Amino acid sequence: MKIKEGFKLRTIVGEHIVTGEGLAQVNFNKIISLNETAAYLWEHVTGKEFSVEDLTKLLLDEYDVDEATASKDAAAIADKWIEIGIVEK
Amino acid sequence: MTKSYKVAGHVFSFVFPEEHPLWGLTGQYKPFEIPTDPSPLFIVELVESLPVETLEKVYGGDEEPGQPVILLYRRNGGWAFEMAPCPGRPVCGRAYVDGTFSHVRLQILRPSEGLFALNNAAMLVFAFSTASLDTLEMHASVVVNSGKAFLWLAKSGTGKSTHSQLWLDNVQGSHLLNDDNPVVRVMEDGHTEVFGTPWSGKTPCYRNEHYPAGAFTEIVRSPENRIRRKSVLEAYALLYSSSSGFKADPAMSDGLNATYEKIITATPCFTLECRPDADAARVSSETLLKL
Repeated sequence: MKIKEGFKLRTIVGEHIVTGEGLAQVNFNKIISLNETAAYLWEHVTGKEFSVEDLTKLLLDEYDVDEATASKDAAAIADKWIEIGIVEK
Repeated sequence: MTKSYKVAGHVFSFVFPEEHPLWGLTGQYKPFEIPTDPSPLFIVELVESLPVETLEKVYGGDEEPGQPVILLYRRNGGWAFEMAPCPGRPVCGRAYVDGTFSHVRLQILRPSEGLFALNNAAMLVFAFSTASLDTLEMHASVVVNSGKAFLWLAKSGTGKSTHSQLWLDNVQGSHLLNDDNPVVRVMEDGHTEVFGTPWSGKTPCYRNEHYPAGAFTEIVRSPENRIRRKSVLEAYALLYSSSSGFKADPAMSDGLNATYEKIITATPCFTLECRPDADAARVSSETLLKL
């Protein structure tokens, strides 16, 4: 999967916010708030193809978490990103 | 013939033929007129016709009943847009704009709606050309009290103008600065200043005055009157949804976001849940005038 063209993460007064920018997302009128962990994942998969396994590995690299939990959380956030339309398979 | 205007410190010019009847309709710009400036930020030039070019539609506009329709196109080396007074009405003006938003060529297709086309072209390009200059064109109604400007923000029809009127009627020392499209600007010392403009929706309130911002307040209709401070995220969402700009342009988007951040840092933002009654003005003024 990959982040759809035109979505950009910005940090505004400490908040991580994804907005639709660029011509590809000119009609996207929501803003999405990411927590620290989601922002960390987003930054590391921006501009490339990634899988749930890649997200799991990123979580394991950065956080003190067991693999089963990391894998479950990675799958959950990937599903969420696809559901709200900012990531495509 | 050229006339120049200064709004929120930014200069633009209109270039029309000397005898053009539209000059006679531009009274709302009069308070902002300055001696002709040799290097304005942008000019709006009236033209009889525009060359036929390939236009690629990039934005169809949110079609809301009764609200102006703006269609945006990409063209070779710049942008084009078309305007209609509301959904279902024919396009009344077409404009070609260069890539840096400094030169607008405006063709009026329906003379009876020429002022509408001029105002919308000027507003759109003002927002675009000032986006990187710590400036936001807001959709808001603004009252001034105790030397500060208080902005009411919401979707059309929610009660921005109504809340301004409630302050005029119930909060002593209030006056209206603008009823639809004020401009806010982050000044060199970091504070937010609110400026009157030649654009004010249906209310003819074209004041060339400016005041430090007291607060940005979102109006939400509710059976209860109550006010609370917004979080950073909520304040961002409010400014993002209430300011003009074109986020498809990376430089413009960076500029707008830098301005949002400065405003959120400098100026408090609130949510006012309210009825359209005098008590609502009491509730908002008791909190906002104590800031």
